[in-house]
Amino acid sequence: MSDCQAGMGGGGLGVDDGGPCADDGLCTGGTGCRADDGGARAQAEAPAHALAPALSFQGLSFSYPDSPAPVLEDVCLSIEPGAFALLVGDTGSGKSTLLSLVKPQIAPAGCRAGSVRVFGRPVGGLSDEESARTVGFVFQDPDNQIVCDSVWHEMAFGLENLGVPQAEMRRRVAEAGYFFGMGDWFRCATDALSGGRKQLLALASTLVMQPRLLLLDEPTAQLDPIATKNFLHALFRVNRELGCTVIVATHAPELMADYATCAFELRSGRVHEVALEEFGRRVSMRGAAGEAAATTAHAGRMRAGAANGGTAVEVRGAWFRYGRDEDWVLRGTELSVRTGELHALVGGNGCGKSTLLALMAGTKRVQKGAVCIDVRERALLPQNPKALFAEECALDELMEWSSVGAYGPQEVEAMLSRLGLADRAAAHPYDLSGGQRQLLALGKVLLVRPRLLLLDEPTKGLDRAARRRVAEVLEEERARGATIVMATHDLELVSGLANSVSLLFDGEVACTEPADEFFRNNIFYRL
Amino acid sequence: MAQAVRHTAFDAMHPVVPAVFITITLALTMFSMHPVLVAISFAGGFAYAACARGIWAALSSLRWQLPVVLVITLVNPLFVHMGSTELFVFFGRPVFMESLLYGCAMALLFLASVQWFAAASAMLSYDKVLGLLGNSIPVVALMVSMTMRLVPRFLRRGRAIASAQDVARSCAVSAGGGVENGAEARSKEHGSQGPRASRASAEAVVGASARRLPLRSGGRAARGRGLPAGVASRLRQSSVLMGWAMEDSLETADAMRARGWGACKHRTTYMPYRFTPRDAAAAAMLLMGGLLCAWVSWTLTAPYAFYPRLSPIDMWWGYLPYAAWMFTPAVLHIYEMRRFA
Repeated sequence: MSDCQAGMGGGGLGVDDGGPCADDGLCTGGTGCRADDGGARAQAEAPAHALAPALSFQGLSFSYPDSPAPVLEDVCLSIEPGAFALLVGDTGSGKSTLLSLVKPQIAPAGCRAGSVRVFGRPVGGLSDEESARTVGFVFQDPDNQIVCDSVWHEMAFGLENLGVPQAEMRRRVAEAGYFFGMGDWFRCATDALSGGRKQLLALASTLVMQPRLLLLDEPTAQLDPIATKNFLHALFRVNRELGCTVIVATHAPELMADYATCAFELRSGRVHEVALEEFGRRVSMRGAAGEAAATTAHAGRMRAGAANGGTAVEVRGAWFRYGRDEDWVLRGTELSVRTGELHALVGGNGCGKSTLLALMAGTKRVQKGAVCIDVRERALLPQNPKALFAEECALDELMEWSSVGAYGPQEVEAMLSRLGLADRAAAHPYDLSGGQRQLLALGKVLLVRPRLLLLDEPTKGLDRAARRRVAEVLEEERARGATIVMATHDLELVSGLANSVSLLFDGEVACTEPADEFFRNNIFYRL
Repeated sequence: MAQAVRHTAFDAMHPVVPAVFITITLALTMFSMHPVLVAISFAGGFAYAACARGIWAALSSLRWQLPVVLVITLVNPLFVHMGSTELFVFFGRPVFMESLLYGCAMALLFLASVQWFAAASAMLSYDKVLGLLGNSIPVVALMVSMTMRLVPRFLRRGRAIASAQDVARSCAVSAGGGVENGAEARSKEHGSQGPRASRASAEAVVGASARRLPLRSGGRAARGRGLPAGVASRLRQSSVLMGWAMEDSLETADAMRARGWGACKHRTTYMPYRFTPRDAAAAAMLLMGGLLCAWVSWTLTAPYAFYPRLSPIDMWWGYLPYAAWMFTPAVLHIYEMRRFA
């Protein structure tokens, strides 16, 4: 297997000449038939390089200029060509740093020691062009890594940079377009794509340059579960069918374990190999929501919620669309949320979850039907916490609405320590980690003491520890008596925390059930 | 993702073809100050608008166009006192029919040009223009493309920011008197103890030293000077938006470098359109037709005079090719639509 993979690594994705793609670029599954000609070509090229590991780190250490503690310490790692490697570790463990050191163009400034080699060549010795042709990099945020406004232009962007001639460019784009099934959205505007498609586009527009090594930094963190599976499947095909070596940095390796061939863990600056079996399905959010969230307590809470009686939000036959010429997003949606409960809205992308939240927040009005809300004190946590940040440091950030919420520095200090951010009070919000940022945003909306809290994807892109923190804070808020409506894809969070769940589909609420019942009855839409 | 695709004139051709047509048409329209030619051009532009945007959209654009015609027609005689047919005397000044007609023709010419510009935007969608530019100025083409990508994103984010702020403000109304308390609390914080608080206030005094974005100070300064709440909140919103955009652009820059931006001196351009012999033939035909129309226009316009007396208008075969030219897009559009019907 490894021989054959090595051969493909050498020739399968023919970096220097377009030729190989014609006969085997898109051939599926035929590893046997490809081993021969791939191997032959590898020999013709440079045998030594074909045998060299796709990526090797030797005694690599790295530290950022402003912090004395090294992020990476004496990392030794070697990844064979054709491997699908997972790089796991908590947020801030240095996964992204490690990956970015492979591409000097995006490597952070800092003090580096040791060597990084790609297919046997030191990365420092690769020209920008060679690096772009050999090593592909896919980033976390699908929105930020897309450069152009239309899908076809985005696909061509990398090739244009490399000065690939028109005809060659055309065929490479066509091939990649087929491989990723882009036929019907090839001429769309990139902004109109769903998050899942944006990320597929990011992958496709990297692969169109035919790199032999593909690095991905948390590529599915911003995607919903179904888009995640689609993306991973595409990635799997890239690895197995094209023989491209794939390295994925992730904090949620469970879903990828089936596709991977090896895994490494980065902990306190060092890398250890871990067995793939360790990533068996772990349903830990239930535990994460605290030991208190055991099933019995959960059921008791639910009854308590039900006994509370009153209705906080009532949506009656709501119809909504964004423009005169656009399709209905909500078609006669019916929903009621009881006071003091945590109500989760789940469903695919574009099913109207965020729209429903906006209606409850009062920033949008229904065109037909009615939305009755019992409480005036509302707060909305937008999907991206950056939408809230306006100040220079975390402390100021929380003080920003002090005049609105009638609170003072004491409350802010208390909130900071409750969120576990007491030592980051002076940090700029953008310098916080993703999880800390989300917590800060949550804290900011909680300080105005809303009685109806509307949350849009509060755990998107967060690692386990941060999700646990968010879950705890939400638990406390509910105990305080706040009603919480949360749109989310995070079914673990829902099953551990929510009182009731509504599944939205086709602009309607397909069902509203208590959380336990919901997960018991669901066949397709489940953890 | 199922968008209705609107096929229109020159749809299946290289963008050079509609560009040639539009350029010639606009030139003909603007230089042909002859009543019949102006009317033909206007009618052709209107016919295409009715085809491409629907008859009602075209008619409803008349709602502002007819008043423009009326105004220009009526205003011209106030400034130009030439002509031979006196209609009446307005505040001691004679108003001549020739002057009124000249104003009317002028207005129609203006509106015909507007119609053809609208037609240009229907025929030459933005990515076709990019296709035209791409070969000669790839970097500008890329910049346009990147900007076009940012605009809808900024709008969407602006709305997200505004709604989060507005919703949070809903808590203030019911908190009652909270505004004063809060202001007090804030001033206390700034003057007060605690290393962090004093650090924050020191920074506020010192200014932009540690600030990542000067724009950020907009919100703070606005609040300090006591601008109206609405203005202050919009300022704040834009500073949030700028901070967000700048932060994201760092990642976009990395993504660009990772894909070889600047790696080669010579950038190439991907063109989704091919220039085929058919396009060359169409462009050549258009050029010849254009020459014929230009000759017609010159023959008619050069000797034509509005003042002091309107030159007579005779029947002449030259109007036919001119009309054929002006109605080409409408006919092509109908042909494109009917081919499947």
